Amino acid sequence: MAHRDHNAPLSDTALRVKALEALLVEKGLVDPQALDAIIDTYEKKVGPHNGAKVVARAWTDPEYKRRLLDNATAAIAELSYTGVQGEDMVVVENTPEIHNMVVCTLCSCYPWPTLGLPPNWYKSAPYRSRAVIDPRGVLREFGVEVPDTTEVRVWDSNAELRYLVLPMRPDGTEGMSENELAALVTRDSMIGTGLAKTRSAGASTKRTRASGGQHERRA
Amino acid sequence: MNGAHDLGGMHGLGPINPEPNEPVFHEEWERRMFGLFIATFAGGHFNVDQFRHAIERMNPAHYLDSPYYEHWLNACETLLVEGGALSHKELNEHTSRLEKEAR
Amino acid sequence: MPVLKAEMVEPLTKTGASCRVDAAVAPRFRPGERILVRNINPVHHTRLPRYVRGRHGTVERDHGVFVFPDTSAHGQGHKPQHVYSVRFTGRELWGPQASERDVLYLDLWDDYMDPT
Repeated sequence: MAHRDHNAPLSDTALRVKALEALLVEKGLVDPQALDAIIDTYEKKVGPHNGAKVVARAWTDPEYKRRLLDNATAAIAELSYTGVQGEDMVVVENTPEIHNMVVCTLCSCYPWPTLGLPPNWYKSAPYRSRAVIDPRGVLREFGVEVPDTTEVRVWDSNAELRYLVLPMRPDGTEGMSENELAALVTRDSMIGTGLAKTRSAGASTKRTRASGGQHERRA
Repeated sequence: MNGAHDLGGMHGLGPINPEPNEPVFHEEWERRMFGLFIATFAGGHFNVDQFRHAIERMNPAHYLDSPYYEHWLNACETLLVEGGALSHKELNEHTSRLEKEAR
Repeated sequence: MPVLKAEMVEPLTKTGASCRVDAAVAPRFRPGERILVRNINPVHHTRLPRYVRGRHGTVERDHGVFVFPDTSAHGQGHKPQHVYSVRFTGRELWGPQASERDVLYLDLWDDYMDPT
C-alpha cells in the first residue's frame, strides 16, 4: 500500500476500528495499555530475527539440529521463542533432494514467535491459491529455480501445527559465527520462498539450486 | 464450509507481488485492529475456530477484495455482537459520530 | 469476562494457547497407512480444504490429540482426536499435469479420513 496522505479523511474501515476500540474501552472490556503492549510486542520485538537464530544454531550445532527436527517445539523453546501461534512447531529441513515451502490456503496461519507476523503476500489469495497447485511457478516468481530432480514439498498449515523451514547452509560460510550466519537467514528462506543469502556482498537475489550445493546467478 | 476462503488450487487470482521491505502494519487502523483481536481473544469473547468461521461467513466478494485486517474487523464485530458485548446500533452510531467529527 | 492487562501481555503471549488436548484418545491410523479423505461438504466450519476431499494419501506422522475445529467453532465441544501429517502426491491432487516429483502435506483429524 502506498504511503497514505495524512490529510486525507479516515476511511470507513479506519473509522469502524476507532469506534470498535472506543466502545470496548468505554465498556471496560479492553485495557488501552494492554493494546499498546500487544502492538509493541508484535511490531517491534517478535520477528524473523528469532527464527534466524534457530537456524544459525542448527547450522553450527548438529545435536541441536537433531533435537530441532525431532521435537521443534522443545528445541525452539530452548531459545525462548515460544508462545502464541507457535505452541506446536514442526521444522522441515531443506536438502539438495528436498525443497520445502509453507502456506496456509485457508487463512494465514504462520509461526509468529519465530517469524513475527506474516507479510501481506503470504495472507493473500494469489499465494494461497497457487502454492499448492503450482509450487514451482510460485518459486520462480520469487526467483528460486528448483531442479526437476529435487522434490518440492508444500506444507499447508490447516491445523494448529506451525511450520518453519530450515534452509540449507550456503557454501563458503565455514568459520562464520552464529550471529554472522543468522544475518544470512532471510524470512523468505524460512517460509520456503527463498534461500539463505550467501556471504558475498552485493549478491543477486536470484538463486539457483543445484544438487549438492547452491550457486548464485549474479545480476 | 465451501467458502471463498478455501482457495487452494484456484486460478486467476493474479501475481503474488511481494512488497520489498514491507512494514508490519501499513496503516494505523491495522495496528489497532491487531491489538483489539488479541485483547478480545485473550478476554475469552471467542475462540480461534469461531474467529476463523466468522471470517468465512463474510460476503465472498468482499472477502476477496478487502485488505487482510478488514477480515479481522468483520469477524470481531460479528462475534462481539453475536456474543452480546456490543450492538450494531452502537457501533454504527459511534462510527457516524467519528465521521462527523473528522470532517 | 477477564480483561487483558498490560503486565499480562508478555507472559500470555509467551505461553500461548495450544490446542493440544491431554486426553487418552486412541488413534484410528498409524504412520505408513494409506487413507482416503472423506468427501464431506459441511456448511459449518471445517479445516478440510476442498482440494483434498476424496483423495488418497499416506499417513506420515501422528501429531497427537487436538481440539476438533468443526465442533469447537459451533459450541459443540472439543471432541479431541488425533491429527496426522498426511502426504499426497501432486499428481493425486491435480492430475497428470502436476510435476511427478512434487508432494503436499496436510494435517488431518481422525474424522476427516477413512482407511482404504
